Amino acid sequence: MEMDQLLELAPGTLGGPEKLEDLEEWNSTAMISFIALADANNGTRVAPRQMVNCATVADLLALAHVDSAG
Amino acid sequence: MQAAVSAIEYYLPEQTLSTAELAAEFPDWGVEKIDRKTGIRERRIAAPGQCSSDLAVAAARKLFASGACRPEDVDYLLLCTETPDYFVPTTACIIQDSLGLPMSAGALDFNLGSSGYIYGFGLAQGLISSGQAARVLLLTADVYSRFLHPRDRSVRTIFGDAATATLLAGADLDAPLIGPFVYGSDGRGAPNLIVPAGGMRRPHSAESAVAVEDQAGNVRSQDNLFMNGGEIFLFTLDVVPLVIGQLLQKAGLALSDIDFFVFHQANQSMLDPLRKRMGIPAEKFQISLAHCGNTVSSSIPIALKDAAAAGSIPDGALVMLVGFGAGYSWGATLVRWRAIGSALLSNRNAR
Repeated sequence: MEMDQLLELAPGTLGGPEKLEDLEEWNSTAMISFIALADANNGTRVAPRQMVNCATVADLLALAHVDSAG
Repeated sequence: MQAAVSAIEYYLPEQTLSTAELAAEFPDWGVEKIDRKTGIRERRIAAPGQCSSDLAVAAARKLFASGACRPEDVDYLLLCTETPDYFVPTTACIIQDSLGLPMSAGALDFNLGSSGYIYGFGLAQGLISSGQAARVLLLTADVYSRFLHPRDRSVRTIFGDAATATLLAGADLDAPLIGPFVYGSDGRGAPNLIVPAGGMRRPHSAESAVAVEDQAGNVRSQDNLFMNGGEIFLFTLDVVPLVIGQLLQKAGLALSDIDFFVFHQANQSMLDPLRKRMGIPAEKFQISLAHCGNTVSSSIPIALKDAAAAGSIPDGALVMLVGFGAGYSWGATLVRWRAIGSALLSNRNAR
């Protein structure tokens, strides 16, 4: 999924249920990249305050309406 | 008279903070990976006791040494800084004395972050076109490193200290060489890039100095800089296309008429999506971050100087400058680059 690329992880590393707090790569810079990804893919605006409430990778993807298989 | 950019110089403090040093300091933070995303290899850090005026004076002396003009020729000094030497007096007056500028010169500070260079151009254009000044020395200088908590990676990876000096001189031309201008402000964004304590609203205190770790593991007190990078990026996604559209409409131009673009050098992860969103070709878009980081109001002149030195801006090029940051504050303008040399020549001939 595109989250693998965004976090510079090997393709197939992330499936969705991974907890964000366990991902060392999930940081303020990655948040900016995620906002850019959501904007570029489908024009969705994801606010940081919304991301704070996400526990897993799947929560994030749902927030941004990004296809987990994308 | 019309304002023209005659010369640009910049000064970076000697001390560097490299990616390798940050990685050694915070081995569990993956700083090397962050730096690949930010596009920053090293940041410059002012020495203890080295203040904004010291950096600005060094940049101005480089400009004078280049032969652009003599200190006695400057009749107005503008200093953009968010880190003045003192609350009172204005740092620009201290610099007037340090540089040996005429006592007849006007001098003032203005407090803006990454939009400041655009506002400085607007002020200089107004001073020159109205006949109030013939040669304006526009300085930008900040020591943001003083605001940063050592354990806050969200800002230590990004910001560096720097100063720049730009000479704007009057040229006897009918058409403006700089402009039009578009400005904007939205104070609702103030909490997203702020040093909460240390001013009159909330003076330094034992309470303000208490450092707290946030959810991301970054540590800072109310005396330190706080940046909500995500909110800032959302702001730029909205404002940058808006301000560019407004500027093009005001100038009666299309995006394809612009030869080169210099945005505030926030960081790579913000600049790349912005460029792609605007459909700007990479070869027309300056990135000058690797050697100095985000230098706030100095970032546009540093990028402009680097682009010109690298030959990236063709003679006669129409260059768009876009600044955006703390406030929120933003602005954009156009500069006709070919006029730089001829404007300088006309000023020299006039002496």
